[in-house]
Amino acid sequence: MEDIKSTSSLIERLYWCIRLRWIAVGGIISTVVFASNILRMPLEVGPLYGIALFLGVYNAAFLIILNSLKKKAPLDITSAANKIANTQISLDLFSLTVLLHFSGGIENPFIFYFIFHMIIASILLTRLASFLQATFAIILFLCMVFLEYKGLLRHYPLEGFVPSTLHNNILYISGVSFVFISTLYIAVYMATSISSRLRQREKSLKEANTLLNEKDRIKSEYVLRVTHDIKEHLSAIEGCIEPVADGITGALNERQKDLLFRARDRAGKLIFFVKALLEITRLKLTKRIKTERFSFSDLLKAIAEDIRLNAQERGLNFISDIDPSIKDIEGVRVYIEEAIHNLLANSLKYTPAGGEIIFKAESTGGRFLVQIKDTGIGIPEDELPHLFEEFFRGRNAKRIEREGTGLGLSITKEIMDMHKGRIWVESEEGKGAAFYLEFPKRLLYNESLL
Amino acid sequence: MAKILIVDDDPDITESMKVVLEERGYKVICAYTGEEGLSLADKEKPDLIILDIMMETADKGFDVARSLRKAKAHKDTPILMLTAIEERTGLSFKKEAGDEVWLPVDDYVEKPLKSKELIKKVEGLLKKR
Repeated sequence: MEDIKSTSSLIERLYWCIRLRWIAVGGIISTVVFASNILRMPLEVGPLYGIALFLGVYNAAFLIILNSLKKKAPLDITSAANKIANTQISLDLFSLTVLLHFSGGIENPFIFYFIFHMIIASILLTRLASFLQATFAIILFLCMVFLEYKGLLRHYPLEGFVPSTLHNNILYISGVSFVFISTLYIAVYMATSISSRLRQREKSLKEANTLLNEKDRIKSEYVLRVTHDIKEHLSAIEGCIEPVADGITGALNERQKDLLFRARDRAGKLIFFVKALLEITRLKLTKRIKTERFSFSDLLKAIAEDIRLNAQERGLNFISDIDPSIKDIEGVRVYIEEAIHNLLANSLKYTPAGGEIIFKAESTGGRFLVQIKDTGIGIPEDELPHLFEEFFRGRNAKRIEREGTGLGLSITKEIMDMHKGRIWVESEEGKGAAFYLEFPKRLLYNESLL
Repeated sequence: MAKILIVDDDPDITESMKVVLEERGYKVICAYTGEEGLSLADKEKPDLIILDIMMETADKGFDVARSLRKAKAHKDTPILMLTAIEERTGLSFKKEAGDEVWLPVDDYVEKPLKSKELIKKVEGLLKKR
């Protein structure tokens, strides 16, 4: 996993270098044009444009190579990517040296530009490779300087810009060379130090993250076991109280009835809570679940009918508007049903009689959008960001229902995350709330949702 | 009146179901392990079997159900399976090669069970016979 990520980030950075190189080509051309036409320097523009062309050509070649490389699996291309990085930098150093040779050699202030390649090398390559590239740059530079000094290579002076005797001045070239060599090595040393420290930090962050995920998983599994046991006992308690409370074992006096009903209610609430907790913990732990293709329209219609009856009983107006073009969806049917049902149940709970609930489903582009709007108590603005947090209960919700699990919306959100969908809410306190569920039409993975 | 066999390893839940069903007039026999369930089924020939999905091990209920279906005597006896929420979402349903019916029960209900729901399910299954 580590290698895949670092290779793909290397590839991204190589694309970045290619983009920079296009800019460099443009820069060279415009500088030459400026120097020879505006400053009227007598330059040998031929070779200079030639280098720019050479740069453009091998940049295009690298682009083609990278594009074909990107199609392969990351693990196969790590060494190829490294070779490309090294080759690019070496070619750049060579091109820069030739460019400088044809434009004044050691007298050209653009010798500073070697620094850029040192920085880029330190980012892209290993420390050793960076130092080797620095050494390569130094060798190229010294060859150029020495050969021009000895007259073995022709000198192309920058007339009018700088005295063209400097390249013959052994003191001058020694001094500049010394500074050049030390600058490059120190630059590489500093840049690779920073770079490796950053990489170390990235690595330990990644390790810490993995550890956290593992701990979270262990915690979830623990919660699962514990709540399972709790549920077993609660079920037995409720099972034993129920027949007595219902009078099946014989008539009860008012007091007995009252207390048993209270006990039963509380047991029921606790079971409901534990079930919700079990559900959300299980959702979090589930890495791989089987999805199926099923009729979304049938599900939506069934839910609508169920809620319609419920709404009528509560004196609420229920409007459903299901897009007839909706057919099938891919996902886990019980979970999608639960997600939508949770929101509608909330609307039923928190909308006072005489209010309205609108259930709308539409199909647009690559997604299904389900909207559940009500004219209920709404959600205070400061609570909106916390709505989907576990165990969170709004203060005005608490007024309507004292004991709620605070898990309903968290479960819904987990389900949406699992289906790579989205959920969001708009609300104004006292006016109502609108929840939106967005489902993608096609999942990227056929059998599993990670 | 019909005879019902309950196979569940939790004695408290078993007793509470027994009370509800007996008040309704059914005859109820209880088994607390899969093996006990199978042998009592053979001996008593119940009209309906209520089976817990998880006894000792997960999905033990399925094995018992499959064994019951294989026996001629109980091939058509209605089986009501008691499940927990995980099974509802299909996570532990397994399909085994060679099995004709992968879910060899007639109906399943989620625990805990309200007495009214239990009666309703039981009467519904017995009526079908």
